[in-house]
Amino acid sequence: MTDFSVVGKPVLKVDSLSLACGAARYTADFEVKDPFYLVFFYSPHAHAEILSIDDGPARGMEGVVDVFHSGNTPSDLYTTAGQGYPEPSPYDTALFNKSVRYVGDIVGAVLAESPAAAREAAGAVRVEYRQLEPLFDPEKSMDPGVPCLHGDGAFAPLPVPYRPEENVAGEVLFSFGDVEKGFAEADFVEEETYRTHYTNHCAMEPHAATATFDEKGRLVIYSSTQVPFHARRTVSRVTGIPAHMIRVVKPRIGGGFGSKQEIILEPYVALAAWKYKRSVKAELSRHEVFTTARTRHPMRVRIKTGVKKDGTITALEMNDIMNTGAYGAHALTVLSNAGSKVLPMFNKIPNVSFTGRAVYTTLPVGGAYRGYGATQGYFAFNQHVDSICRKLGLDFVDYVKKWHIREGETSEVFKAIGEGTEGVSQIIKSCKLSECLDRGAEEIGWSRLRGKRITSGSWVKGVGAAVSMQGSGIPKVDMGSASMKMNDDGSFNLYVGATDIGTGSDTILSQIAAETLKVPVEMILILSSDTDLTPFDTGAYASSTTYVSGQAVLRCAGKIRDQILSAAAVLMGASADSLSLGDGGVVVNRKSGEEAPFSKIACFAMYSHDQFQIQAGASYTGDESPAPFMAHFAEVDVDLETGKVRLVKFVSAGDCGRPINPVLAEGQIEGATMNGISYALTEQYLFDPRGKMTNSSFWDYKIFGTLDMPEMKTILAESDEPTGPYGAKSISEIGINGPAPAIANAIFDATGRRIYDLPLTPEKVLAAIKGVK
Amino acid sequence: MNMVQWYFPETVDEAVALLGRERTIPHGGGTNLVKSGIASYSGVVDLARVPLNYLKTDRGILEIGANQTFASAAENLSNLYPGCILASALGSAASTPLRNRITMGGSASLFPLWSDLIGPMAVLEGEICTEGKNAGSFDLSTWLANRAVQKGTLITSLLFPDAFDWISAYYREVRVGFDYPAFTVSVLARKKGSRIERVRVALSGGADRVVRLTDLEEALNGADLSKVSSLDLRKMGTVRFGRKPAGSPEFLSEIAAVQVERCVKSALFREEETR
Amino acid sequence: MKGTFFINGRKEEWSFAPDAVLLDVLRENGRTEVHRGCGEGACGSCAVVLDGTLVNSCQVFAASAQEKEILTVAGLGSIHSPHPLQAAFVETGAVQCGFCTPAMILAAYCLLKKTPNPTDDEIRRALDGNSCRCTGYVKIIEAVRLAARRMSSHD
Repeated sequence: MTDFSVVGKPVLKVDSLSLACGAARYTADFEVKDPFYLVFFYSPHAHAEILSIDDGPARGMEGVVDVFHSGNTPSDLYTTAGQGYPEPSPYDTALFNKSVRYVGDIVGAVLAESPAAAREAAGAVRVEYRQLEPLFDPEKSMDPGVPCLHGDGAFAPLPVPYRPEENVAGEVLFSFGDVEKGFAEADFVEEETYRTHYTNHCAMEPHAATATFDEKGRLVIYSSTQVPFHARRTVSRVTGIPAHMIRVVKPRIGGGFGSKQEIILEPYVALAAWKYKRSVKAELSRHEVFTTARTRHPMRVRIKTGVKKDGTITALEMNDIMNTGAYGAHALTVLSNAGSKVLPMFNKIPNVSFTGRAVYTTLPVGGAYRGYGATQGYFAFNQHVDSICRKLGLDFVDYVKKWHIREGETSEVFKAIGEGTEGVSQIIKSCKLSECLDRGAEEIGWSRLRGKRITSGSWVKGVGAAVSMQGSGIPKVDMGSASMKMNDDGSFNLYVGATDIGTGSDTILSQIAAETLKVPVEMILILSSDTDLTPFDTGAYASSTTYVSGQAVLRCAGKIRDQILSAAAVLMGASADSLSLGDGGVVVNRKSGEEAPFSKIACFAMYSHDQFQIQAGASYTGDESPAPFMAHFAEVDVDLETGKVRLVKFVSAGDCGRPINPVLAEGQIEGATMNGISYALTEQYLFDPRGKMTNSSFWDYKIFGTLDMPEMKTILAESDEPTGPYGAKSISEIGINGPAPAIANAIFDATGRRIYDLPLTPEKVLAAIKGVK
Repeated sequence: MNMVQWYFPETVDEAVALLGRERTIPHGGGTNLVKSGIASYSGVVDLARVPLNYLKTDRGILEIGANQTFASAAENLSNLYPGCILASALGSAASTPLRNRITMGGSASLFPLWSDLIGPMAVLEGEICTEGKNAGSFDLSTWLANRAVQKGTLITSLLFPDAFDWISAYYREVRVGFDYPAFTVSVLARKKGSRIERVRVALSGGADRVVRLTDLEEALNGADLSKVSSLDLRKMGTVRFGRKPAGSPEFLSEIAAVQVERCVKSALFREEETR
Repeated sequence: MKGTFFINGRKEEWSFAPDAVLLDVLRENGRTEVHRGCGEGACGSCAVVLDGTLVNSCQVFAASAQEKEILTVAGLGSIHSPHPLQAAFVETGAVQCGFCTPAMILAAYCLLKKTPNPTDDEIRRALDGNSCRCTGYVKIIEAVRLAARRMSSHD
């Protein structure tokens, strides 16, 4: 195995000391001179037409500058989804819509001299509505006679299936083989329907944006964004402000998980600042994050397989209806991922069909959320596999080990489903899923606990497992780039468009550069995401940064190395091919043993001979999207009398290629796993009969805290991905896919009852237990 | 601009005099007031300097000053009487930073639906002691029945006339550790050998804020431990619930009954005598 | 109204509205290391140490914090001279997005003041009011353990 000096080491996260000391700044922390404050007002109705807006009383209030709404601020339709251009999401929203489609839809915004004045005035705007029939059941969205939610010119900018007249925001159809023939060949057919629920990202930092002006009159937007370049493009498109007059700066971000891949606040602060040539600040409250910002798309997944007695699956049919809510942000692509990230797992099934439809409802808007459709799909897939195993008396772990995709294999699904376009075929070049299963099973005590139903009073123990795969960026779509220059002391500035939102990507990318140049990571001075200073990157999403942006950095640093060697050749009077990099920032003449430190070479290039700046830039787009793999194991105790589920232990064993930084990789798995655990057990949106969320606060939307932690074990099963930078694949999303099905399977192991709907609340578990008696 | 006037009295008398003014409210830790807002008041009386931050015991009588925070009370009680019901309840309420702020008096002024104080108050038969317009001491049901009694009145302490030497069990139904309970079960018991001398059981969070399960208590008081198995504790522990984020009325009613049974049995059949 | 606060050992005279909460007053006066995560006392991101105890600054009226000692994470240590807890959070990988970190460190600080050698259970209890969405808490607990070991061996 190759010996690395920086890669694979637990290098300290480069911004963590600054964060731990409170020196680092987030969007809302930037002081701007005499700002105005923007506060929104929202629809109280799930579906209504705005008849009139009386902003007179609000405008008359002290400190109020302006009131923006559909009556005075028209805009083109656009999508809030921060995706590549043209976006695969429909253009179905305006800044201020004339029809409102969910409780929490933005109706208008008040600009005032203080937040308090803006809030008070926002409450004083009188809006007259004509209420329209709401549409709450996604499974009825396509029925005849239901209200059509987007009859006003909404369109898809890409040639993708989009039928607003049927409330279809996206459709994914594909098949290979002949499923009917496959079902006919089977010994039995297993069919089940699963449902996943609305949840929120709950990044600790609520969305915020500040627009201000630089000394040349250009607009500078500080934003809590995962996608600064998409944000600039979208702001320009919606507001008409020329893109060259806009600079988007990404400071430290207090978590994203997909929520900040959405362009929510930026256009509004830009619009208001541009109109008044004054700084404008906006910050969502936690309530607004829940009710107005984005969610995880709920999904109904129907899965049907034909199975032979030996366990061979002869056909698989998946039929998904995904609720995209009022607008179609990420509708098509999240839906696609429910198929494209799930179905390749069992790649030897000869007959497969996938039918997916994303439909509009008058409920909160779905968006990108860690896992991105795979989470929903794997909840069904893993329970379904568990069902098959139970029926056949097979062990889940053995069964998955027998049938999962392996190194050197492919799946027709890769080519069939892309993100708004066709997919990209690929061969799996690294897969340690079987090792993950073995090590995870060992750690949880699988053979000791599975099926034993160890009982203590009314509590019964069970264990369950789940597997998943994700991707590493969107192949032939996601692009990352980096530029780099060498300083006279032998340090390097590294500029990346890749957006560290707390993930540690600044550290990972610094490590890749440091490894390539054989310098300590402290000699890499990284700056991430500023549309004026750093080169383009699609942003922090789709598990792309390590793999895609990492390759860009690797290539960029390689170019720098070549320039260093050629400058050193002149300096040292040797041929470049007799020189190589030594450890710690030196060039070594392999023949003579002579060394020249980087500082000397940099000074030589800058001051002495054929003077030039050692600098380079590079971009990268993946030709494929190697999948990380993970196995999850849950040990639960279930109280048969109350339905309570106590999660005792949770094991996550993952293959992310070679982890560039094992501590950060573990951190990604642990965070995603814990999020997945509370997604499974406690998190949910509760709605009243009129479609209003009734638990829009952390008091009633429960995420796990320190008191709720199970014993957590994280295992890295290292592989070497030949297409990845230093063998790396992605790690950020996959960990969230397994907890819900692993826990559900463990509940089945303990009780013999399967829960088909998330979340797995005590009430549902108890009802299921009583059903068996 | 909000024109609320803050006052910082140093004695109970000063505080009481200030509270006699129109639209003037007391401020303990502030956690309730931050939620409800103070903009509609003209005066806020901060009690921090009034000497009501104490916990004292005298011949089984426990008195906790209104300014004592949940965190301090729980810590003091745990040191004095490990395992006593008030220590368990107050020490598990809300979260660490909130327990550091919530005061006994502030909590007693509202007894919110999710209060962790109300159940122990009911079984310990605690009293709310006041000064000012309605000076005196009030039992819980009188206090809850008449919120107007608090006008112009200062809660000075909570008094527990028979606080110790109980075996106790406390259960709070929560979705995660840091949560307000959907219901709580509080049980106190005294035994002599296998004879149950006294049992008190309270259930909070149901359709009634807090109820003493008197049928159950009467059936067990004075009985032998062997009688427990002949009683349908769950039936006796069944009360009505409203819908809550934690579940439907039927579900909550059912699991609350299970927890009543468990708490009663846990208290009655525990080996070691605790406080 | 106007009032005096002792922030990280420094006396400050600030004016504020009578119904302002401490969080807002701190942030308006440049103490942006105190973060607003929910504004309703349920996430702990805004926690500070007020006269020695951990409180959610969004649940404390500024008026009631006058004349009191307020410690924020910036008062505990700095980039150039970090507190052992800050160093331990960095070394264990307990910091991801960092938004919860200042308050989390202060919660741990309050614990270690009283309980220099805490059990894991005591650590979990002391951090029960501080939510984190990035780490799953695993490395945060590890950081507190490490800091406790180091701080008590220095005594």
